[in-house]
Amino acid sequence: MAEVILDNVSKYFGRFKALDGVSFTVKPGEIFTLLGPSGCGKTTTLRVIAGLEIPEEGRVLIDGYDVTYKKPYERNTAMVFQNYALWPHMTVYDNIAYGLKIRKYSRDEIKRRVKWALELLGLEGLENRYPLQLSGGQQQRVALARAIVVEPKVLLLDEPLSNLDAKLRVRVREEIVSLQRRLKITTIYVTHDQEEAMNISDRVAIMDRGRIVQIGTPAEIYYNPYNFFIATFMGRSNVLSGVVERVISDKLYEVNINGLRLNGTSTGAKLSTGEDVLVVIRYESFRKADEDDKINVIEGRVERLSFIGLALQVKVITVNGHVILAYLPPREVIDTGAHIRLYVSPEDVKLYPSITGVID
Amino acid sequence: MKNNRLGNAIRGLTYTLDLPLVMLLFFTLILFTLILIIPLATLFLKPLSVLSLRILEDLIRYPYVSIPPLGEWYIVSDRGEYKLIIVRFKDLGVIPNTILVSSIVTLLSSIIGISIAFVVARYDFLGKGILRIISIIPLLYTPFVNAFVTYKIFGDGGILGSLMLSLGLPYSIEVTYIAGTILAQTLMFWPIVYLNTLASMMQIDPSLEEQAENIGSRGFRLFRTITLPLSLPGVAAGSGLVFIFSMEDLAAPLAFKVDNMMSISIVRAITGSQSIEALSVEVVILAGLLLLSAISWFILIKHYISLKQYAMLARGVRWKPRVSKPSLPTLLAIYLIVFPLVLFSMLPQIGVLIYAFSKSWTGVIPEGFTLEHFSNVLFDSRVLNGLKNSFIYSTLALVLIIIIGTVSSYVISRVSLRGLSAIDLLAMSPLAIPGLSIAMGLLILYGSIFKDTLIDPYINPMFLLILAYAIRKSPFTTRAVYAGLQQVHRSLEEAGFTLGASRTRVLFTIVLPLIGINIIAGSMISFVYCMSEVSTSITVGSLNKSQAPITYIIYDYLTAGYGGGAYIHQASAIVTLIIVVQLIAIITSNYILKFRYSILGI
Ligand SMILES: Nc1ncnc2c1ncn2[C@@H]1O[C@H](COP(=O)(O)OP(=O)(O)O)[C@@H](O)[C@H]1O
Ligand SMILES: [Mg+2]
Repeated sequence: MAEVILDNVSKYFGRFKALDGVSFTVKPGEIFTLLGPSGCGKTTTLRVIAGLEIPEEGRVLIDGYDVTYKKPYERNTAMVFQNYALWPHMTVYDNIAYGLKIRKYSRDEIKRRVKWALELLGLEGLENRYPLQLSGGQQQRVALARAIVVEPKVLLLDEPLSNLDAKLRVRVREEIVSLQRRLKITTIYVTHDQEEAMNISDRVAIMDRGRIVQIGTPAEIYYNPYNFFIATFMGRSNVLSGVVERVISDKLYEVNINGLRLNGTSTGAKLSTGEDVLVVIRYESFRKADEDDKINVIEGRVERLSFIGLALQVKVITVNGHVILAYLPPREVIDTGAHIRLYVSPEDVKLYPSITGVID
Repeated sequence: MKNNRLGNAIRGLTYTLDLPLVMLLFFTLILFTLILIIPLATLFLKPLSVLSLRILEDLIRYPYVSIPPLGEWYIVSDRGEYKLIIVRFKDLGVIPNTILVSSIVTLLSSIIGISIAFVVARYDFLGKGILRIISIIPLLYTPFVNAFVTYKIFGDGGILGSLMLSLGLPYSIEVTYIAGTILAQTLMFWPIVYLNTLASMMQIDPSLEEQAENIGSRGFRLFRTITLPLSLPGVAAGSGLVFIFSMEDLAAPLAFKVDNMMSISIVRAITGSQSIEALSVEVVILAGLLLLSAISWFILIKHYISLKQYAMLARGVRWKPRVSKPSLPTLLAIYLIVFPLVLFSMLPQIGVLIYAFSKSWTGVIPEGFTLEHFSNVLFDSRVLNGLKNSFIYSTLALVLIIIIGTVSSYVISRVSLRGLSAIDLLAMSPLAIPGLSIAMGLLILYGSIFKDTLIDPYINPMFLLILAYAIRKSPFTTRAVYAGLQQVHRSLEEAGFTLGASRTRVLFTIVLPLIGINIIAGSMISFVYCMSEVSTSITVGSLNKSQAPITYIIYDYLTAGYGGGAYIHQASAIVTLIIVVQLIAIITSNYILKFRYSILGI
């Protein structure tokens, strides 16, 4: 089990800064996920760790050793590529055995280990097929087998599920997690799917335009998104713009959203009266208000109801004319056109300064 | 600051490549430096050291420049029954002759090549498939003899004149001397423009033309303002090559008895020299001039001719090109002008076969089918020795070519370091550098350095020959391998690296197995072109007759006897054998590579 440290790593492609001072520490044996929209630098980060790109600035440490300028084949990382990169001229067996041959294991040892990997991933019987004769899910598993069979210090997975269909995705995801738990290989996982990230990770790093913007457990990030970008990236949210009406405490503020008054919290910057803010409220943060609820209540008319299984999605037009989407318990009885009062706790009303420029 | 950059470059290079690969890269660069760059530089440096006003004065006198021009542009001679029109051209001297001939040939080839490419690319008509196939035939390399066939048809007492008379016309035409040279070269070279332009035209996004048509551009205007500018890469590459090929062509001036040409002067000077001292400064300057003109063209078109451009062409057409039914006048033009012209251009190749299989061909109709010439040449020890030499040299050159081609295309496609783009240029440059300049450069450099040693080219020319073959014909393999590498996704290699394989190991276990077929196809083409290499073979190769390659033997057959051409039947037989080898290699290689253009002269 190895620890991976990126220390202030920057990578340029020509003038373009693809990675901008990326720092993080991956603890031995954990699944660490890089999550961010397409083009934010996730693949580049993995490639820097694998040694396929050399950063212009910063250092990469694996197991305490500085490997920044070490060649890929001197690092003992194994990468599963987005397109699997299986060698079309080799059989499944030869693909998996490749790294073992390089490590000069004896013939019997290679056979034993390949067999172990084939069993682990349920690929028995396919060893003499060529990659093109396999289904997408099978190819993906061969790629995984090829990577883990060499017992790498670090396993790098670049959007391993993106080429699979939805049903298969969930199954392979579970397989990867249980495999990782059994083998305890330090794993760095890349995805742009926040649900996938939440589901499999011990910790998640959110990336935006070459920078790490927040690192934490899935719950930490979900409940305390550090900035507007993260808040809207994780989960489904209503985004409104308002003005700070009153400073209640360092964290707690009252905002005026075009007539709608709510108390909300700011996780990052301190705000001051009169400041423009963006207000982010998750769909699931609402509940039907009680009689006693006097503040943080949104009143309006039910415009539309959609049943989505986990919840009842309610579209509300507020008395001030805002459109709000809310998830309520699926068995809730509500009629379209009816008057409704919704409560949202001040903790779930996230406030972000609107001048930070993150809204583009 | 500068040092730092160089340091970074070297560090980058050793990081991305392994030591063995860096060494192979340096080996390749050293080969190019020793066989191409330094010898060519010597062409310019050597004359400078002895340059005097007298030599410069010599160069603007006869035979180099002839003021006033000698001879007649054309002669009309009254033969009683009929008038004989002899188209000749005046002799302006070696230098102006060469430049003028190349320019005219380039212009004519471009007009013909572009028109036919346009017709083939944009119209659908009966017989198009046949037209496409036969328009490549003139590119089959038939060292020397095709020009002699052109001479046979158009030259003194040629078939054309005789035909006109037998039809009872009051006129008879002969195209001879420089005019004949222009004709022969145009027939030989227009397909080069045609193929390059066609490849470009097939790449044009049809919507561009459609858009122009929507706003009312039609016919010739559409062609002039949209189609032609967009096919310029192909036109430039094709016409540039024609200019260079024409300048160093020997066959046509030999057949039409034009002595005052740069190519002929250089070859005669070398083959006639007993030692390196016997080469006059003037000829070295001629070889330098040849190179200078070629380089000017190359710089002009380098933008279009890069290897990367090529891969794009080779990858083929992504959209269905725009073809339409021709209008009646166009159709008439196709059948009355294009087809005859293409058929006409095949005449030299057909003529070679006629010579090879006929007893005699003095009148219009050849007489007597025979295989005698084949048996004659195959029992001639000189021919056998020449074939054996060529085979050995080409095989050895091929070993070098495979290294050069694989290493340089790998570096070009996989290493993105600044400065390395020069390798692309260097790797493709032998296509555009006149072989005669290379031959001259090699001789004056190594002839004096290694004088009286084992590798003195005047004693053992084979070493230089093998190296020159390797450099000159490597671009065909480089190109094919490059096309293959484009198909191999980088991640296939990177997966190997992360699993612990070094770059060299990945090259041998992953890359080479995947592109092996491209290497084979490319080297077949290179091999064929080595076997039929002319420029260095008949110059450097002539210095020790027992080491002469087959092309020199053909040259010798053709130039022997009064006025040359005495042994044309035998020479044609040898060339026919070479054509068969070429056809086999080209067809197989095209079949393997699945792209049509590997036959291109470039
Ligand atoms: N080899 C490269 N050359 C130039 N730009 C690159 C290269 N690789 C990646 N980039 C750019 O760097 C940015 C980050 O790319 P990448 O790491 O692949 O993003 P992600 O994996 O998060 O989608 C993108 O804008 C991409 O266009
Ligand atoms: Mg990516």
